[in-house]
Amino acid sequence: MDKPSQHVTSMIDPTLLARVVKGDQQAFSQLYDHSSTLLFTLAVRILGNREEAAELLQDVYLEVWRKVSRYDVGRGTPVAWLVTLTKSRAIDRLRARASSRGYQAANPPEVGTAAEVTDPGPSPFETQADQELRIAVGAAVAGLPQAQQQAIELAYYEGLSHAEIASRLNQPLGTVKTRIKLGMSKLRDSLQRWGNHGELQ
Amino acid sequence: MTHEALEESVPLYAAGALDRVERQALEAHLLTGCASCHSALKDYQSIAALLPLALSPTKPPRSLKATIMAERNPAPIPVQTPPNEPARQSLEPGEWMNHLFPPVAPARSASLPWALGFAALLIVAVGGYFAWNVSTQRSIATSNIQQLEASLQEKSTKLAAVQREVGDQAKTLLELRNALQQRSNEVAEAKEQLAQREAELEETHAQLSRQGAPHVAGTPQDELAALLRIPNVKAVSLTGSDLAKHATGFLLYDSRTQKAWLYSVNLPECPAGTTYQLWAIRDKPISIGTFQMDTGETTHLLVKKVLSFTDAKTFAVSLEPSGGRPQPTGPIYLLSRS
Repeated sequence: MDKPSQHVTSMIDPTLLARVVKGDQQAFSQLYDHSSTLLFTLAVRILGNREEAAELLQDVYLEVWRKVSRYDVGRGTPVAWLVTLTKSRAIDRLRARASSRGYQAANPPEVGTAAEVTDPGPSPFETQADQELRIAVGAAVAGLPQAQQQAIELAYYEGLSHAEIASRLNQPLGTVKTRIKLGMSKLRDSLQRWGNHGELQ
Repeated sequence: MTHEALEESVPLYAAGALDRVERQALEAHLLTGCASCHSALKDYQSIAALLPLALSPTKPPRSLKATIMAERNPAPIPVQTPPNEPARQSLEPGEWMNHLFPPVAPARSASLPWALGFAALLIVAVGGYFAWNVSTQRSIATSNIQQLEASLQEKSTKLAAVQREVGDQAKTLLELRNALQQRSNEVAEAKEQLAQREAELEETHAQLSRQGAPHVAGTPQDELAALLRIPNVKAVSLTGSDLAKHATGFLLYDSRTQKAWLYSVNLPECPAGTTYQLWAIRDKPISIGTFQMDTGETTHLLVKKVLSFTDAKTFAVSLEPSGGRPQPTGPIYLLSRS
């Protein structure tokens, strides 16, 4: 826990990306192995179905392969880069879908929030450090008041702005902003140790 | 917007809850080098990136990896976004990461003057309002310098990457050139071999045609050719008699080798049991040799060794019974003029 191995998903070694930059196939394969479950989970959560998530992941990894030279370790951890890229592309898709079909609730019924999902137990490939981090994040999110968690997830997974969230929830704008700020601040306090881990600066 | 208001928006930015205008305002503020906002954003973003870990993990389909591995380009392209890439609705991923350092991509530099203008206004307004002390400004300056240094370093890294790529391409080019050179060498070699084969073939043809002339021993054509170049060879021409009006003959005598050459053209075919006989006539005819004209033959080369006929006046070819006769008995077919 104190010294997670470099194979932990959340702690992908920046040198792995440096190898991918040089066109190292094996490094890319390793990067996929370490990150695909997390990114797929995220994509399924945002898009609501596995087929589209798989399509998205294909795009994302090809983009990673092409643009990996743009990654700069000084700007954040590799996993933060991958998560941000995946989230951004997934929300692009979500918006494109919404604008082409008219607005519809994108939150799929079969995917619950973290607090509602029972832990299926560690996968055989999950390292202990990964598991611990996952439990810590799950606990931190679950520990938020329901309203804060909801507001953050609407922004994070559905790409809604605070104004859109306010109108969705029928709440004053200021209330929504406060909920997000408070919620993020609590998450930061409980996860600071993890968030800063792996940062080089 | 005040510094406080902007700083307040950092957690919203990290959660993705800001609208476009607010997002851009914060980005512009970050470009001024506000250290506290930078640090807050970095904190919040690293937390935000962890959020998906709270989801129940879903494994991607097994086939996905193979598809992705197969679909990649042969190599990563260390260049900026292609110009034809459609405009993204949301922020480029890692854009917030760019804010930890100023942007260096040319595509983004267009917003820089605006951002700097904004920054200048902000410094004046915020500076006046909050009466920032010198040390704050110095820290901003220091932070700016650090950013510039970082940006420089980043650019050098990219330059190195580009140079490396150029180097690789040059190497590839060189390899291609070498391969081409090798191909042309092979082609040249093949041509040479072909020419050699042709020469051999020609020689074989020549040998075959020589072997196909059974009445001529050795290489009489060559000798004849050589003979014609010797100035002191005696040459006599013969014309056909009434019996063979179209026939002609050409006789050469080389005194050095004591060889006589009769090249006859258009003599009629010898009837069965007969032969042509060549005579050198001084006081009386002396037989030089006999030869046959077979069916279809139009020319004939007779080569004979003779002791001497330097004083012979006339030459003639007559048709004699097979084996020839010591004296001419048959009709004359070719006769020299002098």
